[in-house]
Amino acid sequence: MRWLRFAVLILFVTILQAGLLADMDVKPDLLLILLVFFAIHCNISEAIIASFTVGFAADIIGLTMGPQIISFGLFGTLLAYLHRVVTIRKMPYQALAIFVVGFLTGLLVNLLTFLKAEPTVPYAVLFCTSLYSSLVGPFLFLPSAWWMRIKTQRFSRY
Amino acid sequence: MARKQTRVSGRMLFTWFMLAGFICLFAPQNITDKFQFTFARIFRWPLRLGRNISLFAHTQQPLTDVVSRRQYNQLQNRADNLIETLIEGRRRYKKLYGLYNSYVWDDVEFVLAGVITASTAGPSCELVINCGQDSGLAKGQFVLADNSIIGTVSDVFSHGARVKLITSSTSNIPVKVGKLRAVMKGNGDSSAKIELAKHKVKVGDSVYAVRRPGLLDSAMKVGTVAKCQSSDQHPLLWDITVEPACDIEKISDVAVIIMNPKK
Repeated sequence: MRWLRFAVLILFVTILQAGLLADMDVKPDLLLILLVFFAIHCNISEAIIASFTVGFAADIIGLTMGPQIISFGLFGTLLAYLHRVVTIRKMPYQALAIFVVGFLTGLLVNLLTFLKAEPTVPYAVLFCTSLYSSLVGPFLFLPSAWWMRIKTQRFSRY
Repeated sequence: MARKQTRVSGRMLFTWFMLAGFICLFAPQNITDKFQFTFARIFRWPLRLGRNISLFAHTQQPLTDVVSRRQYNQLQNRADNLIETLIEGRRRYKKLYGLYNSYVWDDVEFVLAGVITASTAGPSCELVINCGQDSGLAKGQFVLADNSIIGTVSDVFSHGARVKLITSSTSNIPVKVGKLRAVMKGNGDSSAKIELAKHKVKVGDSVYAVRRPGLLDSAMKVGTVAKCQSSDQHPLLWDITVEPACDIEKISDVAVIIMNPKK
């Protein structure tokens, strides 16, 4: 894993999400897409670090700190372990993975946010965001892989 | 061996990161806010740039519904004239009957009529007014006084009409009091009644004539509840006595509601 490139990519996507996409009613969650990307293209340790880092970035531009670190970290790690058993290689499967992970992380974020007595995201918005991300995500895997110098055709299992 | 170390390292990493996540979650808001504010402060320029691009993209809407300056001026003048006419019309209504402030009367014409004779007691409580068919009056139209309904037009002549008051014993007007809907009958004196109501209403509640398409576009007050007592014949039901909302004996002018007048 090239961590400097990783940091630049996360920073760029975080700024993009908070700046350019902030005013859109329904928008893809680029950090969610990156979460799934790193979970299925890195080994377990790297995937865990990447998941929590992406969660931290999502919390930095979110309403409150904590919920997304936990949910992104948890589901990113689970997806990385799952990827040892089931290879998520084709784009439809990647889209499905993004959708499922997006919806589950959203549910957990809502639960944790509710515990902090903060406003939660409506479920319709959650569904639309997950769907949008799942449609866009597989296409963003290619430039992400190029930037991270990851060969997408070769899958190694650790 | 190396593979085993990686697994252990992964679990430890996960545990430590989860712990960090929960610390962030339960840390005081003013401390965690500092992270967010610091990020926003450091990267304010790219964030602002992105926001500006987004706003610019949202505001660049194609102009499709445009008119020429001349046409615009014509329309503006027409709108100004209409506003002035509206203000003048409202001023007249305000001066006469205070009916100007209710938007439901947009397609309504009020015919102002003077009372020639009034009979407010006995079985036929009625008024005779000095406007008739020539002014557009027709049988069944509602008659107002002091912003409340006092009766309906019962007979129309060429230059006059007879108004059956709500207190007349032959008067039957559908009304509502709160959630109660019933027919109000006149008592033949200075009051009316609602017989055998299903539930009790409070003394002082307003009684409204219900909307009747073609005659009355919106519910309008006819009186107030003066008494509500259980019925002698059916103890589970209620008899309601209604007082008219205005003093009918002192009326000198009335307004007849003409819905959708011919222009």
